[in-house]
Amino acid sequence: MTDNILEVNNFSVKFPLMKRGLLSRQVGEFTAVNNVSFSVQRGSSLGIVGESGSGKTTLVRAILRAIDPASGSAVFQSHTGAVDLCQLSNKALIPLRMQMQMIFQDPFASLNPRMKVADIVSEPLVIHRPEQHREHRQMVIHMLERVGLEADTLHRFPHAFSGGQRQRIGIARALILNPSLVICDEAVSALDVSVQAQVLNLLVDLQQEMNLTYIFVAHDLNVVHHFCEQALVMYHGSVVESGPVEQIFTSPRHDYTRLLLSAIPSLDPDIKLSPLDRNSLSLE
Amino acid sequence: MANPELFKDLSSRRLTWLRFKRHKLALVSGGFLIFLYFIAAFCEFFAPYEPNWRNPKAIFAPPQEIHFIDNQGDFHFRPFVYGYSLTINPETWVREYTQDPQQTHSIYFFAKGQKYQFWNLFSAEHHFITTASGQYLHLFGTDKLGRDIFSRIIYGARISLSLGLIGVALTLVLGVLIGGIAGYVGGRIDNLIQRIIEVLQSIPTLPLWMALSAAVPVHWSPLGVYFSIIVILSFIQWTGLARVVRGRFLALREEDFVVAARLLGASQLRIITRHLLPSFMSHIITTATLAIPGMILAETALSFLGVGLRAPVVSWGVLLQQAQNFQVIVLTPWLLLPGIFVILVVIAFNLLGDGLRDAADPYGGHQS
Repeated sequence: MTDNILEVNNFSVKFPLMKRGLLSRQVGEFTAVNNVSFSVQRGSSLGIVGESGSGKTTLVRAILRAIDPASGSAVFQSHTGAVDLCQLSNKALIPLRMQMQMIFQDPFASLNPRMKVADIVSEPLVIHRPEQHREHRQMVIHMLERVGLEADTLHRFPHAFSGGQRQRIGIARALILNPSLVICDEAVSALDVSVQAQVLNLLVDLQQEMNLTYIFVAHDLNVVHHFCEQALVMYHGSVVESGPVEQIFTSPRHDYTRLLLSAIPSLDPDIKLSPLDRNSLSLE
Repeated sequence: MANPELFKDLSSRRLTWLRFKRHKLALVSGGFLIFLYFIAAFCEFFAPYEPNWRNPKAIFAPPQEIHFIDNQGDFHFRPFVYGYSLTINPETWVREYTQDPQQTHSIYFFAKGQKYQFWNLFSAEHHFITTASGQYLHLFGTDKLGRDIFSRIIYGARISLSLGLIGVALTLVLGVLIGGIAGYVGGRIDNLIQRIIEVLQSIPTLPLWMALSAAVPVHWSPLGVYFSIIVILSFIQWTGLARVVRGRFLALREEDFVVAARLLGASQLRIITRHLLPSFMSHIITTATLAIPGMILAETALSFLGVGLRAPVVSWGVLLQQAQNFQVIVLTPWLLLPGIFVILVVIAFNLLGDGLRDAADPYGGHQS
């Protein structure tokens, strides 16, 4: 029996195209995510790759209902049973949010600059576990230690930290409620390469400790290769290829995947980067 | 910031204050305004005379000079002024005042003078500066009825300055509420509110003010007129602020940290009060500061034109009504002094607002 924590079926996200003017009206719609289906196994990591504008971020944000999807279903195995995230009202989603969390791309924009680290990391606790407020402080200190930050960070503001440290704060905030599904939206692409490795290793360690399931959105194929078992390749809102990461890397079936793979620079400086010519490929 | 380590543990409020302190001009303006508001709050004490007290010996009298050395060359520790001696020019019939060295009027500080009702609560008779009874002190001269301009400017400050503050407070409530609804709800309601704002902003303000204030019944009490003028001014002014607030709401709603709070399961109330409002409070304060001089100028303009506050009330605009003819500039230029105060206050508010804006600008400072 497969233990899928999330099953997404025929999932589409559309944005209305409005005609500007005194009386604006809808003149069409733009399909950002088109009929996407996939599933994620509990405890595994799924990578979603694609170029800018391919709909990766829109897809994961719509799964978490930061944006409302147009059609399809996203069935999430919560602690109390399977629920379709697309059918729930915003209010009904609130108790589920403690089981699924998101780590953002930009560690500078995703932390409120006017709140202290202690308040940022404890906000999920204040929202979902207000009755345990005496233990909040201890839980925050414990969580900060787990992501490699010292307890003296508590009373500082986000601007006092480097990008890597801020991303650790964001990770602490996402994991403090012990979620089962964590969506990392380009979680390391804004960081220095050396810091990227540290944060990735931290995420791997935490996955083992806390039995987390990751959906990992990235445009860096090497990160996905290193990190995930399964991968989806997205292009213009559709999934063009999916399967085990090894298979995608060694024997890509779709031209777009080949294009992406050919654009990875080699570690050997003598090998010149020669990406495939976009026009010679059949991408649709 | 040169050294981010130094600023590690400071809240953004402290950082804003540190940045503001570097703005010397804004700091001075702030101090000047606090000083003026303090005087306006205790105007009965600071003014030497009642605003409507008349000195029959001094009609259209020029400002007196403060002396320490009398015409014998003796130094007096207590400053004094000379009384007026009046001659009427036989050719032009103009009253000409000269200083009369025979009459010295000593200036007393914190001494008993005219009785007054302080804040309508209790009666007192101590003044910051005053003279002995029967003597007089007109630092800024007198008007056509012999009323002391200095005292009237101080009393007028209470009306003009408080009107700016209360008016902007009302503007803030209207602007933040309506702009916030437009920005947060969006869609059709936003569209409707934007159109209403555009219509309101396209009406020429001065005729509209005049029409509205002409509608205020003549028999209303001065206080009623005062508040209706405030309501009229805020009714026009909220539109600019509403637009700012709407823009900030729309921009902030898409910020990652607001999306993050939503994904954490925060309620709308929590998002607005904990994440949105603190993020643009500084902008609101800055905009409000820059809106106060507009209020004061509008009141002055309305009162000057005779459709704002009216005679028994003393405001700077009412005082300037006496300076409506060109003879004033030649014969009694001290009647223009209230205008100088209007200019000073407006400049001070603008400098203070500029300083606050620079200090609150998140892109002006810390880039770690």
